[in-house]
Amino acid sequence: MRILIVEDEPLLQTQLAAALRAAGYAVDSAGNGVDALHLGDSGSYDAVILDLGLPQLDGISVLRQWRAAGRGMPVLILTARDGWHEKVAGIDAGADDYLSKPFHMEELLARLRALIRRAGGHASAELVCGPLTLDTRNSRATVNGQALTLTSHEYRVLAYLMHHREQVISRGDLVEHIYAQDFDRDSNTVEVFIARLRKKLPAGLIETVRGLGYRLTAPG
Amino acid sequence: MQFLAITARASLRLRLLAGTLFWIAASIAVAAWGLGGLFGEHVAKQFYGELKTHLDQLTAHLAVGAQGQPTLSSALSDPRLRLPYGGLYWQVDEIAQPDQVAAPAAGSLRSRSLWDSVLLVPQDAPADGEIHQHRLAGPADSSLGVVERVVRIDPRPDGPERAFRLIVAADERLLREPVAAFNSALWLALGVLGGGLVMAALVQVLIGLAPLRKLRAALARVRNGDAQSLVGDFPAEVMPLVDEFNAVLAENAEVVGRARTQAGNLAHALKTPLSILANAATGRDDELARLVVGQVDTAKRQVDYHLLRARAAAAVRAPGARTPLPAVLEGLLRTMRRLHAERPLELVLQPMSEALSFRGEQHDLQEMLGNVIDNACKWASRRVEVSACVDRGSLLIGVDDDGPGIAAADREAVLCRGVRADQQVPGSGLGLAIVDDLAPLYGGELALADSPLGGLRVLLRLPLADAAAQVH
Repeated sequence: MRILIVEDEPLLQTQLAAALRAAGYAVDSAGNGVDALHLGDSGSYDAVILDLGLPQLDGISVLRQWRAAGRGMPVLILTARDGWHEKVAGIDAGADDYLSKPFHMEELLARLRALIRRAGGHASAELVCGPLTLDTRNSRATVNGQALTLTSHEYRVLAYLMHHREQVISRGDLVEHIYAQDFDRDSNTVEVFIARLRKKLPAGLIETVRGLGYRLTAPG
Repeated sequence: MQFLAITARASLRLRLLAGTLFWIAASIAVAAWGLGGLFGEHVAKQFYGELKTHLDQLTAHLAVGAQGQPTLSSALSDPRLRLPYGGLYWQVDEIAQPDQVAAPAAGSLRSRSLWDSVLLVPQDAPADGEIHQHRLAGPADSSLGVVERVVRIDPRPDGPERAFRLIVAADERLLREPVAAFNSALWLALGVLGGGLVMAALVQVLIGLAPLRKLRAALARVRNGDAQSLVGDFPAEVMPLVDEFNAVLAENAEVVGRARTQAGNLAHALKTPLSILANAATGRDDELARLVVGQVDTAKRQVDYHLLRARAAAAVRAPGARTPLPAVLEGLLRTMRRLHAERPLELVLQPMSEALSFRGEQHDLQEMLGNVIDNACKWASRRVEVSACVDRGSLLIGVDDDGPGIAAADREAVLCRGVRADQQVPGSGLGLAIVDDLAPLYGGELALADSPLGGLRVLLRLPLADAAAQVH
């Protein structure tokens, strides 16, 4: 899962990025509206945390332009401006959630998880695929109740597949969603992660669709 | 002093009318008195002029007969002199000479019109040729205007000189009747004139004060939120006032806007460092970290509270605002559905008139309603209903939820700043308390009741902006 943080205060940006990475997300950051617009337009993000008071281009304008260009990723507005008229304007511009500063990091993470889950059409915080269960609240994966031990990259691959189960996911898509933009990407590593996951999971859960990619599917 | 105070308070219309009516009445009274007096004087002069003409005629015809008795050489021409009590009379009295023992009887020679009456003129001995005027009681209860003169005749060169008092009198009716007729015509004419002037004064006051009525209506529109400034063409005398007033309104709006922006900027500038502090303390389990997290929450509440107070205090001094209610409610419910998307809430907006409007600014209405509806969403299990109507001339907005409600005994405590009835639901605890604080600043009030849905009903009463409230 890849998240874009748009926040002009460097210290807060660093804190957010650290907390999100610790929660298992790949994170990109932008410090002004123009960079944010460009990143959001080019990258494939599973969610965006957007400040409103930004240099160069304000957050509401950035959001409007994303939506006008058909970018549908969930956006959580995180701002000090917490008047109800600002909340209404933010939601009407296309935001999916609104959190005002100062905030509790746990609440931000919970709301972000819920946004990503709802964007994938899942109502419950627990994603289930056959014997495999992923609890998005604590980033724990279990098979038949037995906890799995996963590296952060393995978790990201599994979480993305769980959010899009029964869908064919290309290797390129996986690369887009598990690495931050500045990471030295190598699509071959995806195959390594998939191979490791297959060893930890019951056989047949992750299918290879030839020439297209992978699909997580409940057996039988 | 009391009278002055009353006139100072009395309406402009009343003052103008009272002043004008007083002068109209005074002018007409003076005109009537003056014109009546002039005419009376003229008629009197004519009356006595005529009497003198008759007196001259009488003098010319006076002769002394062979036996020494006075006689007229020929009758006077006026027919009234021959008609008994005809209104015009003459009489010749001989004045006793110093050598005569007894005065000759008065009225020995008189006009036929006197019939059996005699004119008894006071013995005032006018000088020769001098004419005296008198007023006397006449025959048939009349009063007479009288002129007299003394004529001395020397009938024979050697005889004694004789003196005669020649009297001509006429009924004063002849004097009074034309004056009375003139006066009644005069009063009629002056009455018509006065009526016309009063009508003119009324019309003038109505037309003259029309711009002030227009100004009042324009002010009512500003107060009611239909206009931001006084709009319309006003006369040159009123225009400076209108311009000044509009300038004050504009300056007021600018000051309010600046104050709000500054308060907002200050809040914004404080909250980001507070976030950083709180995040830095999160995850550490020591006393300093707990202190920081606790104090950051307190600081956030304080900033939110005082920001809203600053906004509300500025809002009540900004007239001319009007906000349609349904659009604001729809926007808030749209937002609430997103913010509470994790819970299966049904948010219902009951049908209401599109014309319902709040007399105040949109942001202020959103702040109050946002807090009330958000509070209902936090506590509701499944359903929140929002309704609005006009009640006793103000806007009454009801927000119902099917949550646990608040026991009547606890309601007052909930409205105390920062107190939460229950800590289970996230929130600053300011929600209802701040609305309870703010509503009176806008001239409204907040009340809590039991909801038919089973939970809490919040009733928010706010000033209504509508056409019926324009001119009072």
